[in-house]
Amino acid sequence: MNSTLLARPAFRKQVLLHTAVRFQGFLGLLIVFLLGVALAPVKDETNLFLDVTNQMNILRYVAETGIIAIGMTLVILVGEIDLSVGAVLAFGATLTAHLLTTTQIGTLLTLIAVLISGAAFGFVNGAVSSAFRIPSFVVTLAMMSFARGLARLVFGGVAIPLLAISQGGAAPEDAFFVNLRLGGVLPVPALLMFGVAIVASLALRYTPFGRHVYAVGGNPVAAHLSGVRVEFTKVLVFALCGVLTALAAFVHAIQLNQGAPNDGFAYELNAIAAVVIGGTSLQGGIGTVAGAVAGAWMLGMIDNILNLNNVQADVQLLIKGALIVVAVALQRLQRRA
Amino acid sequence: MKLKIAPLTLALLAASTLLHAPLAQAQKKYTIGFSQLAFDDPWRVAFNNQMTKAAEKHPDFKLVIVNAQRDSSKQVADVETLMQQKVDALIISPNEAAPLTSVVKKAYDAGIPVIVLDRAVLGEAYTMFIGADNKFIGSKAGAYVAKWCGEKNYNPCNVLEISGLSGSTPAQERASGFREGIKANPNVKLATSVTSEWQKAKAVPAAAAAFQGNKNFQVVYAHNDDSTEGGYIAAKNANLDVSKMLFLGIDGLPDKNGAIVSILQGRLGASFVYPNGAAEAIDWADRILKKGEKPPKKVTLGTDEITSANAKAMCEKYDCEAK
Amino acid sequence: MPVPPPESAAAVADGPIRLSARGIGKRFPGVVALDKVDLTLRGGEVHALMGENGAGKTTLLKILTGIYTCDDGVIELDGHAVRPRDPRDAQRLGISIIHQELNQVPELSVYENFFLGRERRHALGWLDRSAMREEARRWLAQVGLALDPDRPLRGLRVAERQLLEIAKAISIDAKVLLMDEPTTALSGDEVRQMFRITRGLRDRGMAIVYISHRMDEVFEIADRITVLRDGRFVDSRAAGDYTRDALITQMVGRPLPEFFPPETPAVRGAELLRVRGLNVVPRTGKQSLTDINLHVSAGEVVGLAGLLGAGRTELLEAVFGVCPPSMWSGDIAIDGERKVFHSPRDAIAAGLGFVAEDRKGQSLALGRPVGENVTLAGLARFVSGGVIRLRDEAQGIDAAVRALRIRTPSAATPVGLLSGGNQQKVVFARHWLTQPRIFLLDEPTQGIDVGAKAEIYALVRELAGNGAAVLLASSDMPELLALCDRILVMCAGRIAGELSRAQASQERILDLATRFGHGGAQDDPRKATTA
Repeated sequence: MNSTLLARPAFRKQVLLHTAVRFQGFLGLLIVFLLGVALAPVKDETNLFLDVTNQMNILRYVAETGIIAIGMTLVILVGEIDLSVGAVLAFGATLTAHLLTTTQIGTLLTLIAVLISGAAFGFVNGAVSSAFRIPSFVVTLAMMSFARGLARLVFGGVAIPLLAISQGGAAPEDAFFVNLRLGGVLPVPALLMFGVAIVASLALRYTPFGRHVYAVGGNPVAAHLSGVRVEFTKVLVFALCGVLTALAAFVHAIQLNQGAPNDGFAYELNAIAAVVIGGTSLQGGIGTVAGAVAGAWMLGMIDNILNLNNVQADVQLLIKGALIVVAVALQRLQRRA
Repeated sequence: MKLKIAPLTLALLAASTLLHAPLAQAQKKYTIGFSQLAFDDPWRVAFNNQMTKAAEKHPDFKLVIVNAQRDSSKQVADVETLMQQKVDALIISPNEAAPLTSVVKKAYDAGIPVIVLDRAVLGEAYTMFIGADNKFIGSKAGAYVAKWCGEKNYNPCNVLEISGLSGSTPAQERASGFREGIKANPNVKLATSVTSEWQKAKAVPAAAAAFQGNKNFQVVYAHNDDSTEGGYIAAKNANLDVSKMLFLGIDGLPDKNGAIVSILQGRLGASFVYPNGAAEAIDWADRILKKGEKPPKKVTLGTDEITSANAKAMCEKYDCEAK
Repeated sequence: MPVPPPESAAAVADGPIRLSARGIGKRFPGVVALDKVDLTLRGGEVHALMGENGAGKTTLLKILTGIYTCDDGVIELDGHAVRPRDPRDAQRLGISIIHQELNQVPELSVYENFFLGRERRHALGWLDRSAMREEARRWLAQVGLALDPDRPLRGLRVAERQLLEIAKAISIDAKVLLMDEPTTALSGDEVRQMFRITRGLRDRGMAIVYISHRMDEVFEIADRITVLRDGRFVDSRAAGDYTRDALITQMVGRPLPEFFPPETPAVRGAELLRVRGLNVVPRTGKQSLTDINLHVSAGEVVGLAGLLGAGRTELLEAVFGVCPPSMWSGDIAIDGERKVFHSPRDAIAAGLGFVAEDRKGQSLALGRPVGENVTLAGLARFVSGGVIRLRDEAQGIDAAVRALRIRTPSAATPVGLLSGGNQQKVVFARHWLTQPRIFLLDEPTQGIDVGAKAEIYALVRELAGNGAAVLLASSDMPELLALCDRILVMCAGRIAGELSRAQASQERILDLATRFGHGGAQDDPRKATTA
């Protein structure tokens, strides 16, 4: 390899910015963490932010967004977008509650059924977009309405609680494994989020499918001319996003003790924000799953810091918006250099 | 992005120690955490105001109010954060029953006195519940409708119900109570039920959709006054003869957009005050924390009926903004 | 190859010095971009600035147009020392530049673009549109553009937009005109028109700087050539005093044994590609093909010549399976076996490789690392059990980078940061890795500097030497004449004729290329529309 190229200042600057964007998710997470420690109130000699219980609470809170953000990362990496995740989550959560309380199929089969439903929604998103050459923005926007309408129609407009007062009886005990903590410390939803993130990262790095995802996002024409099955890859990605959304839905329903067709509003925005803040480019082809998890975690930390300091909830929205702008601006800077 | 992390952190740490120093010596202050489900409707705003005013009467109470913005997940996180801040008592108006049950139980099991207001959670894992009896209020509204339809001799007397968020206990109870109340007059028919999720902005299109299908409604009953006003707007837009109709709701707020003023101005026909229990909650918090009293599990608040007949008097009583 | 003497090199007496840059130096942290560079521009002279990528040509241009300021040296314009502070300042001084990427606004009209930034106003301050229209019309006529000044810029061909820029330069009484790669997107006719205008400007006393990778054009239009290398001034002579080899040697800094690899008698092997009766009805905007018959044997390099829009790209794409089978009829046989490709994937599996024309748009994922781009088509050889063997892949990438002499700091560098020549080598490497038996190349040396071009020519010869069949479409005549064993000339979607190496010449090619009228001369629609 030729390292004299690095001597050129313009070249070096570009490489530096490229690296900065790649790691912006983690950098941001670190900064927010330190800010949290610095600004946190101290009571009875404990730093309220740093306290393990608090950190675990944050992880539990961001897990759902994190899981969806992993799926969303895949979609954005191929240069598409999925606006329907909130609605698909609502359907999945309600389906979870319904199956757990009114049927006897048990927790595992319920989970499988819900994951399949998510895959189905995702598949439709990808297939319709592909077959009719409609931008995914439009297709998933339509699916947003469709999935929610379907949820309301099929399950009635009412929330289905998991506890004994529902029509069908209570959900089986083992379903509530979601509320447990590994070693008494790490909440199961966070465990799932990290687990999924690891699997997804490995797949992106070590499998041909992962490589194809990056290639299709980087330049779909080039990928096509190199023999990559572009449409197939995209449809598969959408289906995977649907599966992950469904997983988040399962977790959501059990954590909240109910499945409601009206839930999940604005979840797509949170997921997209996490992905973008984590360094994934909306053009496609650049980004990491780990960055998305870092982005989601960072947003959760910020919420927590503001709450601990009793700042108004509306300020959190302002900050989230500002962060997205900063993240995208950084990427633009890198590209223009 | 060249951020010098080390100096920045040091500066922040220094600043924060300065902020925390004064807390060291002070007399025992009780922190009361209030998890409010939303700040975005007038009833809740009045709720928060009364809570704040009541807390001010106790100089050793520090009141912290958090806003869950109608997101049950967020409210769970809010309660966890209040627990993290080691509040001395928790007052909560839960967004939905099932989602908030576990976290309330967690606080209760951790030894924090928990006062549940306005909406219930499931089970019994809390210190006390203060609320109005939504079923009772609903039935009073129903009875009023039954009487009104009788006086007007309407047969059938069709009612459009605009209900609150379907997962919430008040909506369910105001609905079932109402259905009990209207039994007094068999001519009263509950023709259609739509939902506005407590919001006027959603009540208008929901009611409009109902009027599309059928213009023959005599009564519009919404679970909160704001939604009734929405139904009123939709009725006017649909060219229904509102002078022949009865619009009634629940809340009975005194502010300029509230029921009392509305009744005085001739839009709403009746309203039933829905008390929030803020003052009672603070009072009980004082008794539990300072005097170690053991409170009853449930305290039910009463209601006032407001109609054109007594609107002026009610305006005086509640200090309304019609003057 | 002998160089035709430029038209009027001997005839022009040395014009007055309009711009003199002496001892120009420019440093950036860690590197010296320019070191004691001299450039003397005379009025009435087309002065070509030559050098490989990274030689400092762009830096020098940026200094002259005020984007950078020089650290050392003096610039004198008509005898006065000047130091342009920014592009507006440079323009005011009379130094005008036509960038490779034109700074125009497609939504605005012709006259609005013409007067962009220097609008004519009434006394009270609002725009004097009628005056602007009139003036624009007059200046455009001077460069032979008879356009309605009100029409929107969008829809104008690149050639017309460039002439607009030239008209602008004349109208502001530019003393020095810098032209950066002006002919990349022009057809043959348009290039000739551009040269006519340029000579006209020159004859009127303007000093013109011409930068281009196209040697032929440089020798045709330039009166004088200055060579830069690694930021230093190498030499400056009258164009007639340079031979092609001498120029290349100066630019590259080492004697190239031959720019073009030595002719080796084609070792003809089996017929690998045979096309019979191919008819293609493509999507709108592309050239349809009629009754194409050709064959390429192992070890042969067959050229595809023709004007822009003749259908060369469409032919290559049809062979490679880019068009769905519903769009074409006929027979394509690979190594004797009839094949119908439903997608490039099938073609690659059958042993074909395709280097597309637009490497940034069609071949490379610019944000992805060099390594990923290299292995994109041949990933399967590094996969076992559904998993990529990263170490084996790294070795494969390393081998490819070394074999093709790709200059990159590492395999992880985003390929978008490489120079054009190295980017093209990455595309080659991708197909080199899969060791196809049939190579389809579409304008493989377009926009690449001299050193890289030579390496690619050597590579093509090597591929053929190893038994591959190469089908090479190119608008670079010398390239075709030097590399190909046979040249097929296309015109308006048909094969107009075939020339053997012995028979081939520029005139004959051009003759065949226009055999069916100027059918191919309506420009390649992809080049026609504005961005």
